[in-house]
Parts: sequence; C-alpha cells; structure tokens
Amino acid sequence: MLSILSSEWFKLRKSGIIFIITAGPLVGLIIGLLPSFPNEIEINQWYMLVLGINLTYALLFLPLITGVLASVICRYEHQAGGWKQLLSLPVTRWRVFTAKYMVLIFLVLIMQLLYLSSIYGVGMIKGFTDPFPINIVWKSILGGWIATLPLVALQLGLSIFFKSFAAPFAVNVVFTLPTILVVNSEHFGPYYPWAQPFSMMNIGGGTDNVFFVPWDQLLIVVGGSFIIFFFGSLQYFYRKPI
Amino acid sequence: MIKNLLCADFLKIKRKGFWFLTFLGPFGVVALQMVNYGVRKDYLLQQSNDEWGYYILNVSTFTPLALVLGVVILTSFMTSVENETNAWKQLIAFPVTKISVYLSKLTVLALLLFISSFLLMLFTLGFGMILELQGQIPYGKLLKHSFYPYFAVTPVLALQLWIAIVSKNQGVPIAVGVLGVILTYSAYLLPDWMIWKWPSLINEWDEPLINVLLGVGVGSLLYIIGMFDFVRRDVK
Repeated sequence: MLSILSSEWFKLRKSGIIFIITAGPLVGLIIGLLPSFPNEIEINQWYMLVLGINLTYALLFLPLITGVLASVICRYEHQAGGWKQLLSLPVTRWRVFTAKYMVLIFLVLIMQLLYLSSIYGVGMIKGFTDPFPINIVWKSILGGWIATLPLVALQLGLSIFFKSFAAPFAVNVVFTLPTILVVNSEHFGPYYPWAQPFSMMNIGGGTDNVFFVPWDQLLIVVGGSFIIFFFGSLQYFYRKPI
Repeated sequence: MIKNLLCADFLKIKRKGFWFLTFLGPFGVVALQMVNYGVRKDYLLQQSNDEWGYYILNVSTFTPLALVLGVVILTSFMTSVENETNAWKQLIAFPVTKISVYLSKLTVLALLLFISSFLLMLFTLGFGMILELQGQIPYGKLLKHSFYPYFAVTPVLALQLWIAIVSKNQGVPIAVGVLGVILTYSAYLLPDWMIWKWPSLINEWDEPLINVLLGVGVGSLLYIIGMFDFVRRDVK
C-alpha cells in the first residue's frame, strides 16, 4: 500500500498539481479583496468576509476543482497504456483505487488549509481588528472537506471511465450548476450531495453541533452518497476491461 | 483546404457527445427556470409588471455561466481528439497550413456555440409561451439576450482554444476554465476590463452593445495572437 502511495506521489510531482491547488486560495484572495462586502451590521468582521468568499468558493469552485484533480490523477494511466503497466504490477485494483482516492482527499485537504490561510491573509491586508473566530472557521474548513469526500469518489470513478478531461468535467458541471438554485430550497437543499460543501462551509448554520449541519443530515446525505459513489466507482474499476 | 479540414473536424466530433452538450447547455439554462417558475410562479409573476421582460432577465442570469462552461468543455474536448492520440503530428503532416488547422477548430466551436445560442432563444420562447406570460412578446429583447452573450464570450473562446491547443496536459485549460467560471459567476464585482465579465452584458455605461463590440474586437486579437503562437510552436 505504501509503495503504491509513494508511486502516486512521484507521478503527481510533475503534473502541475501545485498550480491547480493554489488556484483555490487565489480565488478566495481575489474575491475577498474585491470591495464588495459592506459591513453595516455590528458583527465580527471575519464573519462577513468568510460568508462572502464561501458563497463562491464552496458553491462552485470546490465541487468543480475536485473533478479536475481527479482527472489529473488518472492522466498518466490514460496515456499510452498506463493502466496496463500499473495493474500488471503485483497490486490489487482495490489498493490502486484506494491509494488514488487517499492522495486526492489529501490534496483537497491541503487546498482547504491554503484557503484558510488566504482568508486570514485577506483579513490581515484589510486590517481587521476583531479576534479571529478560529473555532468557527475550523468547522467550516473541515466540514467542507468532509462534504467533498463523496464527490471526490464519484469524480475518481468518472475519470477512470473517461479518457478525456472534458467529459468528467462536463458531468460534474451538470450536477454542480443546479446547486445555485438548490441551496435556496428548504426541501431539496439538505438532500443534494453537491450542495453539501456549501451547507457545511456556510458559517450561518446551527452552531450547537460539531458542524454546521445536523448530524443526521451529515450521516445520511454525505455518508450515504459516499458509500454509493465510492463503492460504485470501485465496483466499476474492478470490472473495467484494461 | 479549409472546407476539407472542416469536414474532418466535423467527422471527429461525431458520437462524442458534442451535439448533446450543444443541446444540453441551453436546455439546462431554461430547465433551471422551469424549476424556478414551477416552484414559485405566482411569486415571480408578482415581481414585475413586465412579465416577459422579467422572465427573460431570469433566464439570462444563467446564460453567461453556461456559455463560459460550454466554451471550456468544448474547447478541451475538441483538442483532446488530437492530444489523446498524439495526432497533431499526423494532422500537420497533411498538406495543410497550421493557420487553417487553427481556423477550422475555431470555426467548428463557434458554430456549435451559435447553435447553442439559437436553441437558447427557441427554448426561452417556447417555455415563455407555455407559461402563458401576459403582454407582447419582446422579440428584440429575446434576440439580444440570446446572441449578445455569444459575441461577448469570443475573447474567452479564443483564450481557451489557445491554451487547450498548446498544452499537453488538459488539466491546465480546465483549471483556467474553472477560474474563468468563478470570475463569470462574480461578474458584478469585477472591473469592466475583465473579459469574463463581458458575457453578463453588465458595464458601467449600461449599454450591452459595448460588451459585444469589445468582445469581438478583443476576441479577434486574442485569436490572432494564439494562432501565431501555435504556428511558431514545434509539433511534438
């Protein structure tokens, strides 16, 4: 397992992944610095900032970029019979899939942490004097990460299925765009897997729980879709003719 | 020469989902309004006396987003035909100029997007009629909101085509595209000079035609720069 992981890591180093990962925090930085969030109400300045940036970052950027990461991670295998070479090694398909998945969620976690630092950076540049609400921001960052876990699994499956970059991205877009409408709906918002990154990063939610959504929603929607997407993709990879 | 290249390019996009995506974009934009009006039609109709105008405005909130996404997906798809199979060498080995290869790719993409915009107009009109909106149908406004974004998106198309053709790794154009989509989504915050703002038809002077003219102008410029860069590059 460890050797598969390290080989994934070697393949990743030359794939321009740094550029893609830093794009997220950059988006946060740009949107945060645009003069757009009037702070009329007397609340912590950080809240308005995080609410404003999350609106774009969590709603569209995070679900879309996870798909790109998943395609990047399968790129070498799709070129010139890489799947054959990889799977002729003494490895099981289960382990290859899990290793790719673990590298992916690690990358998303790094991106989330960089995003956290870019929020902090925006605040520093703007000269915020309020205390940094570290507990709440942490919840948001980790929650967003957990909410993308099922989406990453689905995108990995799609990236293994399609050879081109554009096709899994197109599928991702088809599911992500409706989120803009879905998050406004009380009935469908909590049940739509692609809306979960936004719900879990949206710091306005109930603060009693560990995360900003109720536990049952987290377990049923995120957990349920994770099981379906992860094992569905894995099942497909098992049967994929190489 | 260009006619043969176009034929070849149209053959290459067969049965790959290009036509489906061309249909899906405009259909999706109108379908989102079907949901919107399906859930809260009475509320939406109360918002404005000009029911048709308000409806077209609602539709066009998603048009720039879908258009930019369409550009990103189609350009990357288009070049992946050659990228995946290392066919650039074979294509350039034919008695064709690199300029015409580039032009042919752009023409096919521009045509697909034009069909998309035309379908958008039809779907918008069709669903508006199904909704039985009151008042005269504002055909001028309908045309404007369907085709102005198409011309205003030209710079993004030229830029994405350039990046997609010259990069070996298709992750690069898609990642740039995602950034562009985010910028388009936050168009109302952006300064006027950014090309991703133009498809939304917003500007300081409140005159959408400026975006169209700027779009075509800057788009042609970017196209020429990209083409010459492609011509000068080695084909590996």
